[in-house]
Amino acid sequence: MKGKRFLIVVGVLLLALTFAALPFIGACAPAPTAPTAPTAPTAPTAPKPEDQPLKYGMSICMTGVAAEKGSPMGHGKLDAIKYINDELGGVDGHPIIADWYDNAYNAAKAATIVKKLMDDGALFFTTNSSAMMSASMAIANSAGFSGIASFSSPPCTNPPMHIYAQMPDYGDDFAAFANYYMANIWKGTGKPKMALEILNNSTGYGARDAATCLADSLGIEIVATEEHTATTISEMDAMTRIKALKPDVLFISSTPAPTAVVIKNAYELGMYPGIVIGCAHASYTKALIDIAGAKVVEGVYGVFPTVNWGDDVPGMAKMTEYCQKYHARDYGNMDYITSWAEALIGAQILKLAVENCGYDALAKGDAAAWACVEKNGIQKLDYDVQGLHGPVKYTPGDNRLDKSVRVFVIKNGVITPVTGWIEAPRIPYEKYPDKFPWAVPK
Amino acid sequence: MGLPCGTHNYTYAQDMAIMRTKTHWALLIALLVLLFTFPLYGGGYWLGVANLIGITLIAAIGLNILLGYCGQLSIGHAGFIAVGAYTTAVLTNVFHLPFLVGLIAAGFIAGFIGLIFGIPSLRVKGFYLAIATIAAQFIIIWVINHLGITGGFMGIAVPQASIGGFVFDSEAKMFYLIMVIAVLCTFFAKNLARTRIGRAFVAVRDNDLAAEVMGVNLFYYKLLAFFIGCFLAGIAGALLAHWIGFMNTEQFTLSESILYIGMIIIGGLGTALGPIVGVIFIRLLQQVLTTIVLPLVEAAFPALPAGFTSGINPILFGVIIVLFLVLEPRGIAHRWTLFKAAYRLWPFSY
Repeated sequence: MKGKRFLIVVGVLLLALTFAALPFIGACAPAPTAPTAPTAPTAPTAPKPEDQPLKYGMSICMTGVAAEKGSPMGHGKLDAIKYINDELGGVDGHPIIADWYDNAYNAAKAATIVKKLMDDGALFFTTNSSAMMSASMAIANSAGFSGIASFSSPPCTNPPMHIYAQMPDYGDDFAAFANYYMANIWKGTGKPKMALEILNNSTGYGARDAATCLADSLGIEIVATEEHTATTISEMDAMTRIKALKPDVLFISSTPAPTAVVIKNAYELGMYPGIVIGCAHASYTKALIDIAGAKVVEGVYGVFPTVNWGDDVPGMAKMTEYCQKYHARDYGNMDYITSWAEALIGAQILKLAVENCGYDALAKGDAAAWACVEKNGIQKLDYDVQGLHGPVKYTPGDNRLDKSVRVFVIKNGVITPVTGWIEAPRIPYEKYPDKFPWAVPK
Repeated sequence: MGLPCGTHNYTYAQDMAIMRTKTHWALLIALLVLLFTFPLYGGGYWLGVANLIGITLIAAIGLNILLGYCGQLSIGHAGFIAVGAYTTAVLTNVFHLPFLVGLIAAGFIAGFIGLIFGIPSLRVKGFYLAIATIAAQFIIIWVINHLGITGGFMGIAVPQASIGGFVFDSEAKMFYLIMVIAVLCTFFAKNLARTRIGRAFVAVRDNDLAAEVMGVNLFYYKLLAFFIGCFLAGIAGALLAHWIGFMNTEQFTLSESILYIGMIIIGGLGTALGPIVGVIFIRLLQQVLTTIVLPLVEAAFPALPAGFTSGINPILFGVIIVLFLVLEPRGIAHRWTLFKAAYRLWPFSY
């Protein structure tokens, strides 16, 4: 009680002193200066482009269970933005602001991050995971906020709305390989028999769904579809069943370790060499050769959507320089290439939008600006991505920007290209609404 | 409940009242007014965060009834939320049924699935029951991935919620829908604790053997706890599905289940206030770290390689959780109770 009374007394005294001192404080104010004659108004200077930034929204899995892919991808696109700003002067002089947030591979966070990006005035957004784009796309589509998924799945771009895929997905891998097989390898009559060995997640099911849609039109008979887990150590049972059906070709959509198991089992059963084996891009890396052994995988075909580190393409030198300078541990990681390329595409989109709409139309970062970016940026794309992956070009009715992969074959332990960029046809999922309800426009 | 100085209960109704004084009523009304006028001053992003908090709160209330009141440890809550989400997704997308039918069905089907996985609770408890509920998490996700009608691994789109001809097609409209349901669930949970059922739950939690000796039917009340907890999880899942607009099983991971347990522990197990403060604390912490703290740190050190702050988020999040559990293991609700007692007596200490 005594303490409280003391505090009250001190407070009142301080207040009283403050009021008493006010006249003296006022006396210390500077004397008002005499008004000066008005000067003639100067012409307003045009704002400089470097003071008119463009916001590039990014939802990146820098942490969480997918950080192994998300982190190098985040580094790749942020390093590319730095390169574009520092060495290229931004986009037509306008600096790019990388408005990025870490979604930690959490769908709820991804949903709030896309709203944050819209509130921030980002002109479009990108994600590096199909799962995170799935969590963001309904919100983005209903607001007309365009998004680009580095790795996408068919539901992201079917039916085509405001979400675009930077690169082909696992269904496109199957489509491209099947097309190449029918055109260049199959010499028999009638329909070749194809067996599928698929991983039990979207990597495998993407290929299976594409096969469901395209097999008939391509003239292929799917005789078997066998699933395996990521930790499988033997697929002898499945391969024995497949061998009994005498297939001509085996397509594997999986990751390196299980793919190596499948090919080794095919080798041990005497199926391979003999049948043709093709792999989707998820497994077709140096890791496959290291795990399975060069002798076992000799002659195995595969598809991949980007170049390799060290390939002689225009964009390789700068990307290598920035990677080794800022994130040396990511050197050799294909995901860094994918996202560096994504940033180049994003810059090209912004460049087209500025040239076609003007900066003023984009300045507010609102729905009108988003529509400008989509119609005059994304949908006017025709860009070679400095050779880092297939050219990106918008085709009406098909929201895949890059539809191309290259076919490779393993020769003497080295993944060797056998084709240039070949385009995967669009897969008509909407023709099978019972199997693919997500493809039906609402 | 502790009452303000000078307030006494003279009747049974006064003793049982949740809002005992005019000050309580005034504060509650002020809170509800602030809450339901939030769309007027909250932007799209913060409305989205509020919606996420509301949905998480409904699920956390269910888990609090199951774990906090009845003592049944469940580490599969995200799986039951997935059941609710996919139920409404299938009913509204594939069968074109109304949103309300999907919402109610989501609750009942999730509750029924919870009953099935609650059966082991008669024979096992504690960590062994936790393992059984972890199995529920994985089994539910596996089934959803392998059912064609759910879209399997590719997922399924969910139409916007609508009642009659009114479509909840904006964040503000979803806010009102979610908050009304969240307020009703909070009121339900608060009152459940004061009923015969609630007292039976507490008896089972404190000493199930003594409860059984007293005549509490263990199996019935344990299954009822699972049903109610999973019913609310199903309702939350249905709202989540209509809010996000696309369902994929990767949205319902084991780490989400563990996060829900963390929320109610930090908030305060077995209290009505616990889930509210726990959910708000965790979700706001996630958002503040991601959208405010990290960008500030990133901008403060432009010379460092881009993305260097990515590791700070999980470190800070983990440190704050651990500090919290070390310094206040009984949760924020307990600390609030101590604070209320202290300011009511201030300047006296007892």
